[in-house]
Amino acid sequence: MSKKFKITICSGTACYVLGGAQLMMLEDLMPAEFRDQVEIVGSACLQACRQGGSGQPPFVKINDYLMESASIAKIVDYMRKH
Amino acid sequence: MEFPKITNNCCVEVDFRQKNCGRQRTGGDVFLSRKLKEQQRVISVLSDGLGSGIKAGVLATLTSVMGLNYMSSFRDPAKAARSIMDTLPVCSERHISYSTFSLVDVDFENEVKIVEYDNPPVLVARGSEIIRLERSQVQVTRAGREPVAISVADFQARPGDRIIMLSDGVSQSGIGSQSLPFGWGIEKTGNFIREQIEKKADISACELAAAVVDKAWVNNGGHALDDITCGVIYFRQPRQLLIMTGPPYDQKKDRLLADLVGNFPGRKIICGGTTANIVARETGREVHVMLGKIDPDLPPDSVMEGVDLITEGILTVGRVARYLEDRRNPETLNLNPATKIVRMLLNSDIINFVVGTRVNEFHQDPNMPVELEIRRNVIKKIAALLENQYLKETSIQYI
Repeated sequence: MSKKFKITICSGTACYVLGGAQLMMLEDLMPAEFRDQVEIVGSACLQACRQGGSGQPPFVKINDYLMESASIAKIVDYMRKH
Repeated sequence: MEFPKITNNCCVEVDFRQKNCGRQRTGGDVFLSRKLKEQQRVISVLSDGLGSGIKAGVLATLTSVMGLNYMSSFRDPAKAARSIMDTLPVCSERHISYSTFSLVDVDFENEVKIVEYDNPPVLVARGSEIIRLERSQVQVTRAGREPVAISVADFQARPGDRIIMLSDGVSQSGIGSQSLPFGWGIEKTGNFIREQIEKKADISACELAAAVVDKAWVNNGGHALDDITCGVIYFRQPRQLLIMTGPPYDQKKDRLLADLVGNFPGRKIICGGTTANIVARETGREVHVMLGKIDPDLPPDSVMEGVDLITEGILTVGRVARYLEDRRNPETLNLNPATKIVRMLLNSDIINFVVGTRVNEFHQDPNMPVELEIRRNVIKKIAALLENQYLKETSIQYI
């Protein structure tokens, strides 16, 4: 069964030092209501910081949507709205 | 891409393990090694000082340092032995000056010279067979004292040979026990070593030394009744390691990285997310990040078919440089991507760095919360540390 959300966390250098480190705990801090609906994977680097105009790291991809300045609260908020 | 040719198809790996007598904090046995790079020689000394604890430690340290220095500069064992014995202080209780030693000197053609004084005999394992050495006795005369005999042997080592140096804490382990009333003895110790090599033909110097020391400890019923030391010198094929870090300056060279992953004869590490992505793209493989066990300071490592380890770039190599600089033992550190790299570095003999020089401009943003060093500089520092402190061979190529 495929999950509703596939979240890809960038673990590249820039994302990691700008807050990505906290995102690594996303799985543990995921609200119970979403536990069954998400698949969390890592990416060696999403390459978003190299393409100008994508915004600020840390970057996270939720399905095809690229989120800039990602935080756990922001991710959960996005999932609530979709 | 060409890497420096391996000049010597046999390299020498030296390691030792030790347990101190009883609850002594200081070992009464000392094992020291030195590599003379210009002469391509390796010299190791195992010395056992009289008694145990700090006094024995001082005697043994004095003996082994003198042994190393004499052998480094003169190569005359009788002279070295005489000077050592004349220098040792006399014990106030037993009125003797005493410490035993075994000295092994390996030259650039793998000619081995062994000098022994009162230690259990050095064992030589060729494959799994323990071979007999022709030993000759040399009288060492000293002013005003009884002459003593030291034994000298030499032989030509071949790839796959191991030289095992033991203190009497090994050969006498278990003495008085029901199963080993006269101690483990050199013969049974030799049989044990043979079994270990039969079980694992490429057992490393440190693994074999640890196995011997642990067995001696078990023979004593889980105690060290004397200092237990085993040193191993292993002649083996050099192990090569490749570290690729950073994307090539010219994108046309991306393919080169992928070819290296396919062709390099040794273990491979990629440090850097973009570098990993390039290799993945060029080889059509996938990178999987290992979320889960996370070190709070370092991004997680990843896996990809054909590569032994993939880590983040500059933060991780920066940490590797720090661990190497502080001479931290990677076995005692938390397992994180940087300690994994350090372990692989220390387990290799020849380390080749391929450094891509394209810079991620985002890293140069002065608003970044941490100082990110230039990759080239960190790698240069790591290579220098490996050469000077850890006796490794290294090469750096920029692409």
